[in-house]
Amino acid sequence: MVRDIPNSPDMLPITSTRYVGKAVKRIEDPALVSGTVEFIDNYSVPGMAHCAMMRSPHPHARVLSVDTGAAEKMPGVYAVLTGEDVKKWCNPMATSPEGWGAYCLAVDKVRFVGEPVVAVAATSRYVAEDALELIDVEYELLPVLVDPHKALEADSPTLFEENKTNVIQDRSYTWGEIDQVFSEADHVFTEKFRWNRCGANPMETFGCVCDWDTVNDYVTCRGSYQTPGFMALGRAGSFNLPSNKIKVISHPHGGSFGGKGGPRGTEIAALLSRKAGGRPVKYIEDRVEYLLAGAGQSWDRYYKASIAVKADGSVSGFKVDLLDDQGAGSEGWGTISVAKPLAAFTGCYRIEAAQYNMKLVVSNRAPTFAYRGYGPPPHNLVLESLMDIAARELGVDAAEFRRRNYIQPEQFPYTIPSGNEYDSGDYEAVLDKVLGMADYQALRAEQEKLRAEGKLVGIGVASTVEPGVFDWNAYSTVGVAGVGVPEGVKVAIDIMGQITVTVGFSLEGQGQYTLAAQLVADYFCVEMESVRVAYAATDVAPPHFGPGGSRLGVAMSGAILGACQKIEDKFAQVVARLMQTEPGNVELMDGHMRVKGVPGAEMHIAQVAGTMLNRSDLLPPGMEPCPEATYVWTAPNRNQPDDQGRCRSYLTAANACHVALVEIDPGTGVTDILKYFIVDDCGTRLNPATVEGQIQGGVAQGVGAAFFEEYVYTEDCQPLVSLFSDYLLPTIHEVPIAAKGDVVTPSPVAPLGAKGCGEGAIHTTPATLMCAVNDALFPLGVQIRETPMSPNRVWTLIQQAQ
Amino acid sequence: MKPAPFDYYAPDSVEEAVALLERLEGEDVEAKILAGGQSLMPMLNLRVARPDALIDLRKLDTLKYIRDEGEVIAIGAMTSKSDAEDSGLLKQQQPLFQHASYLIGHRQIRNRGTVGGSFAHADPAAEYGAAAMALGIEMKIVGPDGERVVAAEDFYITFLTADIDSTEILTEVRVPKMAPGTGWSFQEMARRDGDLALAGAAVTLRLEGGNCSEVRVAVFGVNGSPARIAEAEQLLEGSSPADELFRQAGKAAAAAVDEPIADVHGSGDYRRQLISVLVARCLAEAVERAA
Repeated sequence: MVRDIPNSPDMLPITSTRYVGKAVKRIEDPALVSGTVEFIDNYSVPGMAHCAMMRSPHPHARVLSVDTGAAEKMPGVYAVLTGEDVKKWCNPMATSPEGWGAYCLAVDKVRFVGEPVVAVAATSRYVAEDALELIDVEYELLPVLVDPHKALEADSPTLFEENKTNVIQDRSYTWGEIDQVFSEADHVFTEKFRWNRCGANPMETFGCVCDWDTVNDYVTCRGSYQTPGFMALGRAGSFNLPSNKIKVISHPHGGSFGGKGGPRGTEIAALLSRKAGGRPVKYIEDRVEYLLAGAGQSWDRYYKASIAVKADGSVSGFKVDLLDDQGAGSEGWGTISVAKPLAAFTGCYRIEAAQYNMKLVVSNRAPTFAYRGYGPPPHNLVLESLMDIAARELGVDAAEFRRRNYIQPEQFPYTIPSGNEYDSGDYEAVLDKVLGMADYQALRAEQEKLRAEGKLVGIGVASTVEPGVFDWNAYSTVGVAGVGVPEGVKVAIDIMGQITVTVGFSLEGQGQYTLAAQLVADYFCVEMESVRVAYAATDVAPPHFGPGGSRLGVAMSGAILGACQKIEDKFAQVVARLMQTEPGNVELMDGHMRVKGVPGAEMHIAQVAGTMLNRSDLLPPGMEPCPEATYVWTAPNRNQPDDQGRCRSYLTAANACHVALVEIDPGTGVTDILKYFIVDDCGTRLNPATVEGQIQGGVAQGVGAAFFEEYVYTEDCQPLVSLFSDYLLPTIHEVPIAAKGDVVTPSPVAPLGAKGCGEGAIHTTPATLMCAVNDALFPLGVQIRETPMSPNRVWTLIQQAQ
Repeated sequence: MKPAPFDYYAPDSVEEAVALLERLEGEDVEAKILAGGQSLMPMLNLRVARPDALIDLRKLDTLKYIRDEGEVIAIGAMTSKSDAEDSGLLKQQQPLFQHASYLIGHRQIRNRGTVGGSFAHADPAAEYGAAAMALGIEMKIVGPDGERVVAAEDFYITFLTADIDSTEILTEVRVPKMAPGTGWSFQEMARRDGDLALAGAAVTLRLEGGNCSEVRVAVFGVNGSPARIAEAEQLLEGSSPADELFRQAGKAAAAAVDEPIADVHGSGDYRRQLISVLVARCLAEAVERAA
C-alpha cells in the first residue's frame, strides 16, 4: 500500500507534537562533549601501520625516476607505494565529465604542488615521515598552466595529455528570448567579478583506516566519510572490485561541508594495506596536507555578467559568462559547482530570459572540491551586485528594487528560466520582516548622518533562494547521469517497545540523529529517549546518499515517515485480526492502534510489536512477524533534463533576506560589520535550534569568503597558503551573531513542509557584505568586485579614489 | 607533520643549561632552547627547524617572576605572557608592556608562551619588540662567561635573530617603569583578533608646557626588526600636539621603513600605510593619556 508522506506536522498521528518543531536538545552532544565519540584518529587496531606521503614540490613536472630503496630498508617500514604499483592495481579517479581524474599517486607526471607521489606505511607516522626523507624523486619540469584564460589557447601546456585540451567543458545554455530581451531593455548593466579560491575547512581533516583482505579481495575503509555509499562505489571502480567487495564505514567526524572523504587518501591507504600484505593502514591528513591538496579548495571564478532592466525597474534578462578554474582535474567533483546554479539561476526574481556560458578549465593549482552551497554563493554575489548596480542607476532603493522584481506568492509553483520549479515562498514577507527588524529607514538615516561626518558606512540588502534536496538531474550539464537520489532508513520496534532507526550516514554536526529521534518519537508517541539512531555501514545500510545539497533533513524525514507508515500498516493488520475488524478501520493515534469509533478498543504499539514477535498464533495467517520496515525515499516528480539542462531538480526553494551595516576604516581598509539581520523561510522548522545553528554557521563561512579566506598562488602556481596563519578562517571575534527572524511558508511537496536549509546563509552573506561594502565605498566613486574584500584590496581602491 | 628525531634535555638550573649548551656546542650538536614552544613546536613539526637537541627550560621555576626593583620591573624569562598580562604591578607601573602582553595571540598561547621565549625568538611581528624599543627594555643574558646586559637597540639583529650566542640563555628582561604623567599608546593591525600583526606601533611621550617631550616612537611587524623612528620623534619633540602633526609623523615613520614585508596578507605599500596610520593614531592616544 502506497500512502502519501505527510506534508505537515499536523498530519502526524499524535494529538499535538511533543518534539517536532521544538528546539529540543541534540542527542549527539553528550557523547561529543564528553569525548567518547570515536573519531577516526582515536581508532586503532593491533598491527596497524601509519601512512605518510611524499608530495610534489612542483606544479607541473614529469616524474623521471623514483628511488625508494633506502626507505624500504629502513627499520619500521612495512611498505612503500609508488606510481608503478598504482598503475598496476588501480584506475584513475572517476569524474564527471569523464576523463579528468588522476591516479591517487602520480603516474608519470605531477600536476599540482602537493600531489602525492610516494606513500609509506610504517610503525608510526614519525617513522613514515623519516622514511620519506630517504626517497629520491627525479623530476623534469614542465611548463606551467597558470592563467585559466590561457587554458583555452591551443598552445597552452596540456595537463591531461590524452585529452588534448585543457577545457573540461565549454557550453552555452540559453533560456528564453535572451537577445530580444536585452535589445528591448532600457538599461543593460555589465560587470566583471572575481571570486578567488576558498573552501571548506572542517575542524577535523580527513582520516581513514583501510584494510585490504588479500585472501578474499575485500576492502574495508573506515574513516570520516560524508557520503559513504558514493565513496564505496567510486573506490570499487578505482580498484576494479565488484561493488559488493568494498565496505565503507563512516565514523563520526568533525565537520565536512562537502569535501570530507578524500578519494586519494582512501585509495593510497588501501593500496598500501594491499602491498603490506593486508595490514590495516591509517592515514590522518594533517592541516598542511589539507590546505595544499585536500578537499578544501573550491570556486575559483572569473565572471562577466549582465542584466537587462526595463524603465519601470523590472529586470528581464540575466547573462552570465563564467570561466571556472577547476585546478588540476576534477577528482573532487568541483564541476558540479558550476552546474548547480541552474537550480536557482535567477534567484528570487521574475526574470524571463537568461543565458549561461560556462567554461570549465584545468590549471596547475590543486583540484577543486564540493563546498557548502556547491557553487551558487558566488553566482548569487554576482546577481545581487548587479541588482544593486541597477537600483542605484535607476535611483531606486536597493530593498525596493528587489521587492519590485520578486516572484509573487500566488505564482508558485514557479518555473524559472533555467528549468527548476520553486515550490513556494513569500519573498516580500521575508523582506518586510527583515527591514522591520533592522529598522531600515532609521538605518538609512543613520547612514546619511555618518556619511556627512565623512565616515564610510554602507548597508547591504540581499535576497537569495537556497535550492534544497538535490537531484542528480541538476548536474546533467556536466555529464552526471540519473534522476533521483534515494535515502533509506530502517525503523524497528523491539519486543520491549524500544525503537531503533538505522541510517546510512554518520555524525558530522548537523543534528540529523536528533531529528530522526524527534520524528519517530512523535510518530509513535514515545519519549525521545526510547529511540536510538544507529549507523549502518555500506554493506548493510539501505540505499542512501547522506548529507549534501541541503537534502538530508528533508530526505531522511521522508524515509522515516514512510517506514513508520509501513509499520503502522502492518500493525493495523495485526490489530484488525485481534479486534475482529478490517485493517482500514484501525488507525494509529498517540501511540495506540485504535479501532475507529470504538472507544477503548486499542492496543499500545509495544503490545502490538510484542504480539508480532511472541504470539504468532494470533497473527493473520502467513503474516511475517516483523515489526520493522525499511523505506527508501526519493523526491517526487523529478524528470530528465532537456537539451538546455532544464528539469525539476531541487525539490524545495528556501529563501532568505539579509541586511548588514558595515563601516570601513579608510586608513586601514578594514571593514567592521556593525549590524547583521537575517530573516529566512525554510518552511516548517523541524528543529528551530538546528536551523538557527545552520544559519549562523553559514554566516561564519560567508564572512570568511567575503573578507578572509583565499588560497593564494604565486605567478608560477606555487601555493602560498599551507597554514592557518595564511588561510584565515574567521573566528568568534570576526563573525557577528546575526539577529534572526523567520517566515514560515511550508513546502507543499516536501515531507512535513520542511525545506532544505543545511547550506543556509553562505548563499546570502557574501553577496550581502559585498553590497554593503560597495554602498560604503559609493561616495568615493570606487567599487570592489573581488573576494575576499581584504583590507589591502579595499585600501588600494580607496587610494585609487583619492 | 611530525618532528625529525632529536635529543631532549630538561635541565634543573640555568647553570646546568648553560653547561649543557657549551658541551653540545663543543660536540658540534645543534641545540635549540624550548621556552614555551608557541613558535618552535610548529617549526619542529613542519621540519622547518630540525635541531639535534632540544633544551627545555620548563623546570626553571627560578626564572618565573615579576619583581619590583625600584626604577625597573624585572621579569624572569620563563614568566608566561598571561602572567605579564595579569600583573597588577605592570598594569599600574608599566601599562604599555602589560597591554602589549595582552595583544599577543590568544589567551591559550599566552598561557603557554613565555616572555623570554618571545624576546629570544625575535619575530618581527612580536609585540614585545616595539615595547622594548619604546620603553628602553634591557635583556639580561647568561653564558659561560657570566652575565651581560644588552639594550633593546643592540638586541635585535634581524629577522628571527637576536644578540644571544648559541651558548647563552636570556634569563630576564628589565622593563623601566613608566614615569607618572607619561602618555602611551600601543596599537596594531592584525587580520583577525589574535593574529600576528601586519604592522604596529608603540608611543610614549610627555607634555611639558603643552608641548610634546621625551617622545619615543617604535614600530614593528613591517620588516626584519622592530625599530625606533627618530624622524617621527623629532617632528613631535617640542611641538604642540595637533592632528596634522601626528599625520606628518605617521608619514615620516612610514617613509623610514626599509624593505617592508610583503605577503598574502598585505603588500609592502600597504604595510607602510598601516605604519603611517597607526603611528598617527598612537600619538593622538598618547597625548590624550598624557593630558
